[in-house]
Parts: sequence; structure tokens; C-alpha cells
Amino acid sequence: MLLRKFFRTAWSYKAQVLSMVIMIMLGVGVFLGFNMEWYTIEQDTSRFFADTLYADYRIYSETGFTTEELEKIRAIPGVEAATRFLSVNLDLADDSGRSLALDVSENFTVSAFVVTSGAPYDEESGGIWLSDKFAEANGFALGDTLRLRYQGAEISGEVVGLIKSGEHMICLADANQVMPDYRTFGFAYISPKKLISALDFAFYPQINVRSSLTKEEVEKAVGEALGYTAMVVSKEEHAVYKEAQGEATEGKTMGSVLPVLFLVIAILTMVTTKHRIAVNEKLQIGTLKALGFHNGRILRHYAAYGFGIGLLGTALGVALGYWLCSLVMSEDGMMGTYFDMPDWSLWMPAFCPPLLAAIVALLTAVSWLSVREQLRGTAAEALRPYQPKKMKKSFFERGRGWERKRFAVKWNLRDIMRHKSRSAMTLLGVTGCMILLVGGLGMRDTMAGFLDMLDNDISNYTTKVNLVDGVDADAGIALSDELEGDWVYQSGISLDGDTVVLEVYDNARDHIRILDEKNRPIRMEDGGVYLCLRLKDRAAIGETITFSPYGSEEKYTAKVLGYHRSVMTESVAMTKACADSLGIPYGVSAVYTDRSAREIGSDARISGTQDQQQLMDSFRSFTSIMDSMVLILVLAAIVLGVVVLYNLGVLSYIERSRELATLKVLGFRDRKLGSLLISQNVWLSVLGVVVGLPAGVGVLQWLLMALAGEYELKLMLGPTTYCVSVLLTFGVSLAVGLLVARKSRKIDMVEALKGAE
Amino acid sequence: MAIVEFENVTRLYRSGEHELRALDDVSFTLEAGKFVVILGPSGAGKSTLLNLLGGLDSPTSGTIRVSGRDISTLSGKELADYRAAAVGFVFQFYNLIPTLTVYENVELVSEICPKALDAKEILEEVGLGDHLRNFPSELSGGEQQRVSIARALAKNPDILLCDEPTGALDSETGAMVLALLLGMARKSGKTIVVVTHNQNIAKMADVVIRVKNGKIRSIEEQAEPLSAEEVEW
Repeated sequence: MLLRKFFRTAWSYKAQVLSMVIMIMLGVGVFLGFNMEWYTIEQDTSRFFADTLYADYRIYSETGFTTEELEKIRAIPGVEAATRFLSVNLDLADDSGRSLALDVSENFTVSAFVVTSGAPYDEESGGIWLSDKFAEANGFALGDTLRLRYQGAEISGEVVGLIKSGEHMICLADANQVMPDYRTFGFAYISPKKLISALDFAFYPQINVRSSLTKEEVEKAVGEALGYTAMVVSKEEHAVYKEAQGEATEGKTMGSVLPVLFLVIAILTMVTTKHRIAVNEKLQIGTLKALGFHNGRILRHYAAYGFGIGLLGTALGVALGYWLCSLVMSEDGMMGTYFDMPDWSLWMPAFCPPLLAAIVALLTAVSWLSVREQLRGTAAEALRPYQPKKMKKSFFERGRGWERKRFAVKWNLRDIMRHKSRSAMTLLGVTGCMILLVGGLGMRDTMAGFLDMLDNDISNYTTKVNLVDGVDADAGIALSDELEGDWVYQSGISLDGDTVVLEVYDNARDHIRILDEKNRPIRMEDGGVYLCLRLKDRAAIGETITFSPYGSEEKYTAKVLGYHRSVMTESVAMTKACADSLGIPYGVSAVYTDRSAREIGSDARISGTQDQQQLMDSFRSFTSIMDSMVLILVLAAIVLGVVVLYNLGVLSYIERSRELATLKVLGFRDRKLGSLLISQNVWLSVLGVVVGLPAGVGVLQWLLMALAGEYELKLMLGPTTYCVSVLLTFGVSLAVGLLVARKSRKIDMVEALKGAE
Repeated sequence: MAIVEFENVTRLYRSGEHELRALDDVSFTLEAGKFVVILGPSGAGKSTLLNLLGGLDSPTSGTIRVSGRDISTLSGKELADYRAAAVGFVFQFYNLIPTLTVYENVELVSEICPKALDAKEILEEVGLGDHLRNFPSELSGGEQQRVSIARALAKNPDILLCDEPTGALDSETGAMVLALLLGMARKSGKTIVVVTHNQNIAKMADVVIRVKNGKIRSIEEQAEPLSAEEVEW
């Protein structure tokens, strides 16, 4: 019989039950979705890296490594495998502007690939193993011939296999590209035999190593083995691994703030709702006790609501979490355009299942405790109607103007003070909604501002010309002059033990600009260096830094003249004149020019060209991922706002129905009663917006600081974001308020006045 | 002069196929300034009668006139205005707004009633001048009912409608409340309609209407009603 009562009582509270299930589903779903995203990135990428023998360390030499040097590295205790490796960006010989990274792993024990179709790797083969995504985007199939241009020579061969590789899981042409664009850039592998047959020589500027040694141990051992300091880059510093880890960290950061806020609001609102329902059920609880039901049975009966709602909400939340995660982490999802890997299995962090069980247990316990409170004492006591807390004068009433305040103001203020937990939950709901909206839309504004800065403030060129490694300064500067361009040299340096990038600029023609902290262009002076904002804590202006280029024993000390905003890399920037005065050797890595790629002919110094528009497009497709995440957050914020406010609004209405009925009997019109109900919602919404707006900005600022390892983003919030966030929050509040206020028309004056409060 | 006229008033409640005739073709008139007690057992229809007279409900058929105005066909808004201006309610469980002080509960009616009387004066008249700033939860049951009476009178209505006004009070407090109610109403010439099942209250009435099974069984005028003090509670 109690089972029937269970379902019928649940039906009588259907609005509350439904809203609690939705809240838990949303809270759990968003929390799980965000946390699964970063964990899935960690799991799937690390499996892929393991499958393709991703290198733990890369040792660089501009002059290339000999087989003897490779043997010395392999002989280091703790080195599991090592191979000479070449990766060079080459244009396709058809002048289509497409290019790819051509890789050779000499003994294929490190930095290998997995074949998705075609022939497996064969070191004797003269064929080409091509990125399956590049092949798909450009219409290449197995058996086609691929022709590549390499320093005036041509490497051509038949496509024998389509592949994916951990080395190119995020397939970017260089540090300035943020999103892969397989229509213009891909990768391919050839065998060492093919390399020699095409070029008549083998040049391997890298040795890739698999080892569990620390970086310091590898650096020391390599130095001892080779007899000189070679540049060692750990996988944590290598772009692909670093970006993948960055995505996971970014997801973890996002997952640790907004979804947690979501989950907390959902749980707290559920706690409030369950308590209010237990209070409403007091007479029924008392009746069951008076009839002779044991406390334990009554407790189990009512705790079953919390358990059932928690279990159903959590189960639906898990499904929602998987769905949300699959929107991001699937081959067709948002990350599908960023990561190129074969396995997209979804993974749940280990802490999630116990947490979900704890949520269900907590909700069950809340029901249990709420009902136990009503069951205290004798059956006669349990049968007595619930006695609301006695009114006390609040601090509002200490002011002089209190007596002159209108009835509606007094009524609502005292109601808020009387039902503090309900009011606090409403406030939390509105504040949460506001934080999510400001955070989400603000992130979008910030990224849009970042793109705008990149497009308009930094980039003032048409084409970026990448030079092959090893081009000396004279040859590079000569090319720059031919193209009437600006040039930059980028090279790894060690600063306080960390690998950062040294950038030497000659930007006299204003094709590439350096910005200060406030995004204003600055003309760098020659007497020192400029640290990027991420390195700001390393030295104050006027202080000096000491750094050492990789592959060199030399140490250089330079005065810090200022800070600049770096787009992607952690960098120390200086002028050519500064580099000359310090005696730092440099070459030219890239030239920025207004010539179009078609106007720039083939040249042995050029490894490839990139259209500025292409670069911007890759940034834009990157921000489109962010837009989708923002859309999810905005939708979730609106649903959260609606569900929390409606649920608490209905509770407020139920709790005040007797007062409302009294007012109606006294002659108050429905419209006036409705405005009483709405005005409280509006007040709490105003307060929620006032609190939520700076809190949202604060959360966004925190997120940007947490993401600063990847990008130097400047917080930007457009007026539209402020307006949309405030209007949406108020819109939700007002719409829900109107929905609840409509109920005042249906107040049964006679029924509501029966019985004592 | 008749202040209340019920003409063939019927109120049916339907629930599925069931039909409950709460009031069945009831007709009567009440004179202004009288103390009227409607007496009857539970389910007799006395609360329905009070609800119709108070504008909380509308009849299924028949006509109800109050001060010559037909209230049986008024819209929801018009009924709200009628309740605001013409009738004062005293409830069994007081129905005070718990978040308003004693003074504010009475002052509240000035929001809807243009002819409202001074709240402080009325509260002093009912003996609560020292409790103006107290909340209802700080008062005894009798005191709360006195606030309720003050609130009803503050509207300066033509009719006071009281639903079991002593039902939640002990007999001594109930007698005091009734004495107060009657004294204040008589002083201002109000018509009082009290619905009760308490036979003792009927002894104080000018007119006693007995209701049973939705019909009026008798209407009895008492030439010499007893005072509250004279009634044996």
C-alpha cells in the first residue's frame, strides 16, 4: 500500500520531482561531461602516443647527427630506444600552395605511425605513407603519386599507405598555426632508403629517444656522450604533447569551476526542495506514525524519494555527460578537427563513480534527515501542523525609513528573511546563471578580441615565408630584403632551467608588430629584451636575465626593458641590434611580406609559405570550438536558471498560499498578488545580477590566468555580453516569475483558509 | 431596511458524476445593524452561505443582493473590489500575515480600501495599543483574534462576516472576543453574520438562521438576546 502512496505522492509533487530530476541530471551531466572531456583527452592521446612510439625526448643538432652519435645515445643506460629523425616541411610540387611535413624515422623504433589502410611500414619500400586526413581532404588515394619539392630537388613516390602518427596528432605547420587545416597542410613518412635514393644523402637533425629518465638526466648523459651541449626537448615541451596536455589542463580548469558551481547549485536546491516537501508532508508523516507505522519504515518510505530522484537524476546525468563529452570528443565532434587519432573511446575519471554514489547517498540522507526532523517526539506531536519559525525584527527594520515603506516591500523583505535558505538558493541560482553567462560569453569575447588583435594589431602582412633550418643570417636577410619584408629568428633558449623561445626581430617595415600589455604597438629599443607576459614574474623592468641558447655553452645577460604580449610561445624578444650588441648568433626563421604566395618563387632557402588569411582561418576554426562550448554553457545556464527559479518559486507560492488567500479574501486583486510574487523574484534577480556580474568577471579572469600557460589572453567583455547576460538573467527570472504569478489566479480562497498555519 | 437578500440561491458542486447540493434554493433577508448567527451541523451548508455572501464564491443559480447590489453575477475583479469595500472577515484561525506586525496587519487594508479607518486607533480600541510592533507569533490566540477583528473593522465595511470566530479559543477567551466583537459592531452599527455550530453563541444573536442539508430550517428573531457575560459557556 505504501508503494501506491509513494507513486501518488510523487505525482502530487510532480513539478518539484521533475525539477529535482532535471537539476540533478543537469548538474551531474555538465559536471561529468566537462570532467570526462579532459580525462578522455588524457587517456586516448596517451594510448595513441604509446601505440605510435611517441618520443620522450628530442635531441637537436643543426649540423645533423651521425650514426656513431646515435649509437652513443642508444648506449646511455635508461634509453630504451633511439632513432635518427628528420621532419621537414615541404611544398607539393604542383604549386597549389599545399605543404606537408615529411618525416623519416631511421630505425622506426621511435616516432612511428599506425596504418589505417594500405601497406604496413617497410624500410625497403620506395613508397610514401600519407596522412589519411590530408589524403581525404585533397583527394589522394592509395596508388596515387605524390611529388614534393625539397631545396630545389624533388621527392616523389606512390602513396602506399594511409596513416596516423602521434608526432602529428595535432598537425600544425608551425607555432603560429592553431588549428590543423588538412586542405593545406598534412604529413607523410618515407623510409630512410627512399630519402637517400631521392637526395643522395641523409641528413638527420634530430635523435628521438624513448626513455623514462628525467630531462636533467638525459641532458647530462647526452652532454657526456656527445661531448657537447645539445638541445634536448622533452615531450612536455614538444608542441603536440604540450598542446594535448594543454587541452586536458584547459578542460580540467574549466571542469573545476563552472560545472562544480552547477553541481553545487543543483544539490543545494535539491536539499532545500526536499526539506520543504518534508515540511509539507508533516501531517501525513504524523498520520502514519499515529496509525502505528514504525519510524524506521516511515523514514525508509520517505528516504526512497531522495534515493529514487537522486538515482534517476544521476543516471540521466551520466547519459547527458556521455553525450556532452561525445559532442567534444569524437571524430565528428569539436576535437575531431583538432586531434587526429584513431581511437575516440570515452573515459570517466576514477573519482566520478564514487562521487556519483556519494551524491545519491547525500540526497537519500537529506530526505532521511528532513523526515526524521518531522518525526521527533510523540505521535501527537508529529500530528501537529508544522510551526514556522517565529518572526523577529530583521536589520532592515532598524533604519528610520522602515515604517514608511510600502506593504509589498515590508512583506517581501520579511518573507526573504523568514525563508532564508529558500531565498539564498534563489539568489545562488540567479548568481550562478549570471556567472555562467558572463563566463561563457566573456570567454567568447576574449577569444574574439584575441583574434582581432592578431588580425589587426599584430599581423600586417600577406604571407609568412618559412625558411629551411640552417639558413644563415646573411642569406635570410637578403631574402627578406628581396621580398621587402620583416624577419624573425626563433630559437630555443634555457631560462632558469625552462625552455623558452628567443625571438630576434627586424620589423622596420611594420609587417609584424610587437604589442605591450595593453595591446598597444611598441617599438622595441635596442638596449635590452622584452619578456612576454607569462614570464613577467621572472624579472622586473630594469632587472637583468641570464639565458643560454641550446647547443651552446655561452650565457648571455640582458636588461629587461619591458613586457610584450606573445601570441602562442613563451618568449624573450629583442631587436637585431640588441642581438648584435650581445653577440648572440642568429639566423632567420621566417619572413613576413606583403607579396602573395604565388609571387614568391621557388627558392632553396624557403621551406614553405603560409597565407595570413589561412592562419586566421585556422584560428577562427579553433574559436568555433570555443563557441560551441559557450553555447552549451549558455543553454545550461538558462535551463539552470529556469529550473531553479521555477522550483523555488513554486515552493514559495505553496508556502505563502495561505497568506495569498487571506489577501485575496481581503480584496486584493490577482494582479496585485502576482506583482507581489514577481517583485520578490525581481529583487533577488537584481541582487543576483549585482553579485553575479563581478563574480562572473572574476571567474573568467581566473580561468584566463589558469589558461595563461597556453595563451596570453586579455580579458575582454563587450557591452553585448553585459547586456545579453543581464537581459537573459532578468528575462528568465521575469518569465518564471510570471509563470508562478499566474498561479495566484487559481488560489482557492476557501480551501486555503481551512486549518491553522 | 434589508442589507442582505438571498433569492432562490442554489450552489452545486460537481465532482465527476457526483453532484453535491451545498445550498438548495435558499431565500432570506437580513436587516442592517443586526447580529445574525447561522447555526448548523458540519456539512449543513453554513460555510457555503458565508462564502457566497462574502464574495468568495458565486451561486450556481439565484440572486444575492447586498445593500441593493446584485453580487451573484460579478466578475472576479468586481468581486475582489466588493470584498475590499463591503465586507470584513474574521476567521477561525485568524489568518494574520505572519511577516507583518500587528499594526501593519491592520494598516494593510488601506492598500485596497479607500475608506479605511486609522489602524492605530482601532487597535487601541481592541486593547492592543501596546502590541503595535509585535508580530502575530508573539501574541496569544485571543490577542491574534482581536487583531483579526481590528483588521475587519478597519475597512469600515457594511457587514462583518465571522467564520467560527471562537473555534480556536478557549471558552473564556472566546467569550471575551465575542463581547468585543459585538460591542464594537453595535457601536458602529455594523451588521454581523457569524457562522458557528456553537449553540451558546446563538443566544446572543438578534436573528438565528438554522441550516441543515443545504436548506434553511428556521429563521428566528430574538427580542432580548443575552450579552456575552450572561451566556453560560
